Amino acid sequence: MPGIDACLHEAMNLPGARGAAIVDWTSGLALGTAGESPNGDHEATAAETAELARAAAEYTAFAPAAAAGHKGPPVEDLIVTTRTGYHLLSFVETTFDSSVFLHLWLDRDTGNLALARLRLGQLAERLVLG
Amino acid sequence: MTTAPAHSTVSPMLVRLAGERATGALLRDHGTLYLADGRVVHAESPAAPGIDVLLTAGGRLPRAGWEEAVDRAGARREVGRFLVDSGRLGGGELEICHLGALFDAAYFALAPGSGPTRFRYGVAHWIGPVRPVSASAVERETRRRRELLDQVWPYAAVDTAPVRAREPAPGQAVTRRQRALLELADGVRTPLAIAWALGRPAFHTLLDIRRLAAAGLVETPAEPVAATPAAVPSWVATVSADPDIALLRRLRDALEASL
Repeated sequence: MPGIDACLHEAMNLPGARGAAIVDWTSGLALGTAGESPNGDHEATAAETAELARAAAEYTAFAPAAAAGHKGPPVEDLIVTTRTGYHLLSFVETTFDSSVFLHLWLDRDTGNLALARLRLGQLAERLVLG
Repeated sequence: MTTAPAHSTVSPMLVRLAGERATGALLRDHGTLYLADGRVVHAESPAAPGIDVLLTAGGRLPRAGWEEAVDRAGARREVGRFLVDSGRLGGGELEICHLGALFDAAYFALAPGSGPTRFRYGVAHWIGPVRPVSASAVERETRRRRELLDQVWPYAAVDTAPVRAREPAPGQAVTRRQRALLELADGVRTPLAIAWALGRPAFHTLLDIRRLAAAGLVETPAEPVAATPAAVPSWVATVSADPDIALLRRLRDALEASL
């Protein structure tokens, strides 16, 4: 029965993982955090990544008409590449009305982006299945 | 923006109770915070839809399923656990929903209110332990939320007034979540009524309404202004180098009145 902590723990076990969080993108609230934060403050990081996630989730450019019948978020994930790392934002689809995503910060040298993207998507699904 | 309230305490009593690792219910005018060992385990407010509303409004949980859980596990204060153990809800889902409801109700419960704050030692909520959070995290988040609303659109009047939708400008996009909200903006429902109808947290709805108002998609009601002058008043010429929000608002009102 994976909860928030188990989910973050698994995310942190991925190669190159430096920090992870579950964030609400409407309010910018961090529901849970693990590991380090890029700016030393998990709550500030959550507020910033939430703005990015909200833009992606709401802009019509990222909401293709073909997905209009699907009531979940039109965007699956976001990848931001910096000089030293990767940031993966994976949207969590809940059956009640919510706005939550998983954020994983990976080291650029030791992280495996393809693997992490796949696993984070699975974690986002399992988080709500119970 | 003022920086003075940033470090002031939202509730001195909450800080003290957390320090003594108290267990019980903190009763305030606009809601109740439940503590266990000094940590916040639950919060309720008449303004905020409870976890039952959040779960049942969208059809996630049939109302009967919720009521059965309360009947069977309420007396031993393990409703949350029962929902998960009986397969009605995923563990992560319960935590996400419960935390959303907790911070939402706490925002209203900790609103600056009149009247005394009381604490009843030993009282526990029937939802039972889900994912306790520290009192300081609740304080910080409540303060951040207050500031966030005013950063988005510093007109508190939109929080309580009936929501009136405005026509989007040509080419202006309205998103999926905004549309759901605007469809209920009939000029009668307030933001809180919309939150209950949609099964979304109340603060989220206040924030979305302020964002919509900032984007011009929702009307911003006029603030109660005492006798707006007919012409642009003389103090307009003496606007200081550091204009504040109240001043800008008065300026806007004066300009609108003179048009």
